[in-house]
Amino acid sequence: MKLPKRLGWIEGGILIAILIWYTFSIWGADRPIGASTAISYMGAWFFNLKDTEYFQHIKNSGAWEVVFLIGVLIGGAFTSLFITKTFKFRVIPPLWRKHKNNSVASRLFWSFIGGFMIVFGARLAGGCTSGHFLSGASQTAVSGLIFGGVAIVVLIVTGRLFYKNL
Amino acid sequence: MNFNIIEFAKETLQLVQNQNHGSILTILFIGIVFGVIIQWTRVDTFDKIAGFAMLKGFKVPKMLFFGIGLASIGLYFMIKMGWAHYHIKPIILGGLILGGTIFAIGMAILGLCPGTGPVAVSEGNIDVTVGMIGGIIAGALFTYLYPELKNIMGPDLGKITLTQLMGDNADWFIFVYGIALMAIAFLLPNKEIEEEVGEV
Repeated sequence: MKLPKRLGWIEGGILIAILIWYTFSIWGADRPIGASTAISYMGAWFFNLKDTEYFQHIKNSGAWEVVFLIGVLIGGAFTSLFITKTFKFRVIPPLWRKHKNNSVASRLFWSFIGGFMIVFGARLAGGCTSGHFLSGASQTAVSGLIFGGVAIVVLIVTGRLFYKNL
Repeated sequence: MNFNIIEFAKETLQLVQNQNHGSILTILFIGIVFGVIIQWTRVDTFDKIAGFAMLKGFKVPKMLFFGIGLASIGLYFMIKMGWAHYHIKPIILGGLILGGTIFAIGMAILGLCPGTGPVAVSEGNIDVTVGMIGGIIAGALFTYLYPELKNIMGPDLGKITLTQLMGDNADWFIFVYGIALMAIAFLLPNKEIEEEVGEV
């Protein structure tokens, strides 16, 4: 049997829906999918902030999501090595090269800033694409829909302003 | 700072075992499947996510809208049958708007988010690894500042869903909602980022 090298958005969407159903179900984890709490859990843990109100508040979700993200790393590495054959050490994405610049220092600087903003913003909002969009909007949660609406508009405006030669 | 990974792993696994949300193996399995789907569709690339911010490729929103639309209909009936439960996040209005804005600016720049980021790390992207380190530091800073920040995150308007608001009409509303989201996926342009930068 020959596996396809890429999956399209319809196959991807169907598989994500099945995974959401399984994760929510009482036979799965009886909880939503989420990712950003794990990042703040690690931050708080590594920087000795375990005695804080916030860590006590998120530690259960955070620990669950850490195990989830370890699975994600395994699944991603396996697929990139054996199915899509895309594993490769890289620094500057082709699209960044085309619409921003050719500088390793600039890409790494902005990656740090971007990653910082993503997690800080997700924690202010109480979730990210996984928690608010995949899990929240699937339950018709108003919080997820507000987050999704704001995020899509700001994403496109930032794309217009930050990149050039569009 | 404390980078004792053994102690970290022990405490984390203990916390997971003490809650009733699946065994370690179940959670790992969910993560692995997520990683496989995201990597196999290649929505874990800067080119696909920042490409959507530049309106040059639409695979990411198509897959998101289609997946959520389909999931919403099934999930509604699963919850009705008692096979699953609602897990609704509150409408903390200030946090959602301010946080959503900061989040999306970062997402357009890094080209990834907390779920797809680890997939990009796993296939060798060093820039995204640096981004995740930025994220871990942001998580620590947020934890530290939380007592101050929680004042600007409100008001908390409660945990509300559209199906709740529809009351008796929820049974047909969920189909309108789910089908509308799936229709958006089909109506978005068929432009792929590969036309711009080749296969990613």
